[in-house]
Amino acid sequence: MAFAPEHDVPIPYMQRTRDYYLRLGYGAYRWAHFAEVPFTPPLEPLAQSRLALITTAAPYQPGVGDQGPGAPYNAAAKFYKVYSEASDTVPDLRISHVGYDRVHTKAEDPNTWLPLAQLQKAVKSGRLGALTPRFHGAPTNRSQRVTLETDAPELLRRCRDDGADVALLVPS
Amino acid sequence: MSLVARHLEANGIPTVIMGCAKDIVEHCGVPRFLFSDFPLGNSAGRPFDVESQALTLELALRVLETAPAARTTVQSPLRWQEDASWKLDFSNLDRMTPEQIAERRREFDEIKAIAKTKRNEA
Repeated sequence: MAFAPEHDVPIPYMQRTRDYYLRLGYGAYRWAHFAEVPFTPPLEPLAQSRLALITTAAPYQPGVGDQGPGAPYNAAAKFYKVYSEASDTVPDLRISHVGYDRVHTKAEDPNTWLPLAQLQKAVKSGRLGALTPRFHGAPTNRSQRVTLETDAPELLRRCRDDGADVALLVPS
Repeated sequence: MSLVARHLEANGIPTVIMGCAKDIVEHCGVPRFLFSDFPLGNSAGRPFDVESQALTLELALRVLETAPAARTTVQSPLRWQEDASWKLDFSNLDRMTPEQIAERRREFDEIKAIAKTKRNEA
């Protein structure tokens, strides 16, 4: 078996992004980093568990410009508060407000960033016990303080209100 | 998202993240992570490829069920395409002209200004 090319490894996003913004004239971003990581084993099999889906995708907002597919980065489409929508629907969510790979992806198929249809199938087949009645949207506003002090506690509260046993988080 | 996963987990809700930015998620430190080596924006599978989306979810569920300890990462066996040269493009300064870099800076200043206005209104 031949060796893979040197560049065929996960993209070093932190290094690329650091170099990129320094060259553009901005300061270095500091990513969150912890020595300790919490761990809670699931109590029940997934077939008897209720799962909460959390996404960074944004609800489509009429009047704030092109939100795709294939839209340029659209900061006006961002959201700054946790939102929730019914999990038994097909919501109109977009990802024009985040820095996805616009060279190699056009964001034409929402199922690439929101596995809601697959989750609904998993419930039907009995692989999963249930979805919580709502899925939740987590803001991506680059403020770690706001995420830690406001958004994460709010998402926990909503997951608990909905009786979530486990959670699936999907950054876009 | 990693910060949210940590917070839920610390408060008794087991979590799994599906994502494409391996270094960033692992640098933060999360309980469970299903990594797809795909361009950002495809955490849940390849576009218009239902099988890949089903497999991606199934792998994430298995990680959720079976991870023996925190910082468990599993890499999906799926490839974006056989040729890995797409990985060289993302924010790669070596592939940009000075004019393109200046244009990116102008765009970024514009984005920051819009985001700031929007944030202040929120």
